[in-house]
Amino acid sequence: MIFFLAIASISERNMYGFEALTFNIHGGYLEAIVRGHRAGLLTTADYNNLCQCENLDDIKMHLSATKYGSYLQNEPSPLHTTTIVEKCTLKLVDDYKHMLCQATEPMSTFLEYIRYGHMIDNVVLIVTGTLHERDVQELLEKCHPLGMFDSIATLVVAQNMRELYRLVLVDTPLAPYFSECLTSEDLDDMNIEIMRNTLYKAYLEDFYKFCQKLGGATSEIMSDLLAFEADRRAVNITINSIGTELTREDRKKLYSNFGLLYPYGHEELAICEDIDQVRGVMEKYPPYQAIFSKMSYGESQMLDKAFYEEEVRRLCLAFEQQFHYAVFFAYMRLREQEIRNLMWISECVAQNQKSRIHDSVVYMF
Amino acid sequence: MAGDEGTEIYEEREESMDAAVGKEEAEIKTEGKEDENILQFLDSLDGYLTLMDSVNSKLREGWFDLASARHSMGTLRINSTLLDLKYHPAASTLQVTDQEVGSLGSVPRFALSKWASKGCGSPKGKDFSTDTDSEIGSPLSQQLRHRGVSEKPSAKDETTLAADEEIKKERAKSLSVFGGLVSPKLRGAQLSFETALETLVEIANMRASMLSAFERITEK
Repeated sequence: MIFFLAIASISERNMYGFEALTFNIHGGYLEAIVRGHRAGLLTTADYNNLCQCENLDDIKMHLSATKYGSYLQNEPSPLHTTTIVEKCTLKLVDDYKHMLCQATEPMSTFLEYIRYGHMIDNVVLIVTGTLHERDVQELLEKCHPLGMFDSIATLVVAQNMRELYRLVLVDTPLAPYFSECLTSEDLDDMNIEIMRNTLYKAYLEDFYKFCQKLGGATSEIMSDLLAFEADRRAVNITINSIGTELTREDRKKLYSNFGLLYPYGHEELAICEDIDQVRGVMEKYPPYQAIFSKMSYGESQMLDKAFYEEEVRRLCLAFEQQFHYAVFFAYMRLREQEIRNLMWISECVAQNQKSRIHDSVVYMF
Repeated sequence: MAGDEGTEIYEEREESMDAAVGKEEAEIKTEGKEDENILQFLDSLDGYLTLMDSVNSKLREGWFDLASARHSMGTLRINSTLLDLKYHPAASTLQVTDQEVGSLGSVPRFALSKWASKGCGSPKGKDFSTDTDSEIGSPLSQQLRHRGVSEKPSAKDETTLAADEEIKKERAKSLSVFGGLVSPKLRGAQLSFETALETLVEIANMRASMLSAFERITEK
């Protein structure tokens, strides 16, 4: 009796190390499912075969033996790289939807958080496309399936961020993230970019707090992964804003309020004017010193690959531990990286640049 | 009398020799002119083939950089649905004029104005005609390169700097369809395609002079 009372009082939110006692009640099936999916990720041997393909039909033939086979088999020739990406993304979406419909709280909320980043991207795509007088149907076809919501098509009526919020987004999960960017300024390209980054910053901070509340191994592993994401975004924002009209103050406002670089690294990044200054800031932090040591001075071409490799290393480590939700996040991100790899290989094959394939492919296993 | 006849014969011979020499000289001149035309044609052909290689290489580089940018920023941020369908003036314009070029006669001349007026009265951008040798900093420029302590920028340098700043802004504005903060790879792709456009105009001019030289050769 005392034993069962002890079990009941232990919740994985409060007692790290005791998740094994209760996790499998609600999460055991889905953890098994996601570990099965993880085993289906492409290996180095698969990538070696793909890198030797002469054309996109060869790639389709090699992928027919993988989990993507059923998604590509009915696609007619000639294939396009965007078709391969779209169909592989459908596989990711199907896996996600299956897990979501089987999940209970709080795992279902955790899985919903994974979608919000894609929702933000879709909102920005629709708003930008409307600003450029594109057809809304054409824009909806390009949206990421994970980021779709019911009222997304009505985004076209908004003229500024206040209307965007009031007319459409107030009833969506993105509503809480709009508090920092509610203005009546008309939407233009730079304002939209600031809106995108402000929303994403608010989303990351909210996700981080949610994971901290969950506690246990989920909190520990997700804090590391989200902190890395926040730091990488800070570096990308800095590099992409060099030479633009974005002021230092505006740049600093786009950095998230957590992560290894917060707050002193952000202070230094905000005033960087070239890639070497960014390098100087990042090399003070040992985890990022290794990333920047792979690049020569003045070069930023390999930075993306270096960051992706570090991210994949951390995501794979998440699977070393059991009874936590971070495996779901890690699986989704690894699949997205795999799709990015396939896109890159397809582009290099289509452009007859096979010697450059290894510039950006990130191997997982 | 015999002396007069001899003188007449001598004068006739001289005249015929002069005529022969003159004819020979004319033939040599004509041959020389033909050789010149052939050399001009071959030079133009060589330049044309070199420029074709150059434009192919630049276009390959541009497409590859675009794929790199799409890989870095994501397919949602770089795709054709983001291109602006609103009415806006062309970023670059091409002017075609007929130019008299020595022995080649009238040859069409193409001049590219990149980042031309965007609603302003006069073009702000540089005029990229084929006289690239006259550009400051070109390896073939006649101007000396100064080393050591730089002198105060002259008025011409300041004008050039201001023009460069304007062009930089126009470039950023063109890329803003993909967002305010884009990857350096996308900017690299833009530069590659810009260079390819300049090369295409050079190819057009080279082709025009090549065809004109060929016409000159086949006229005979």
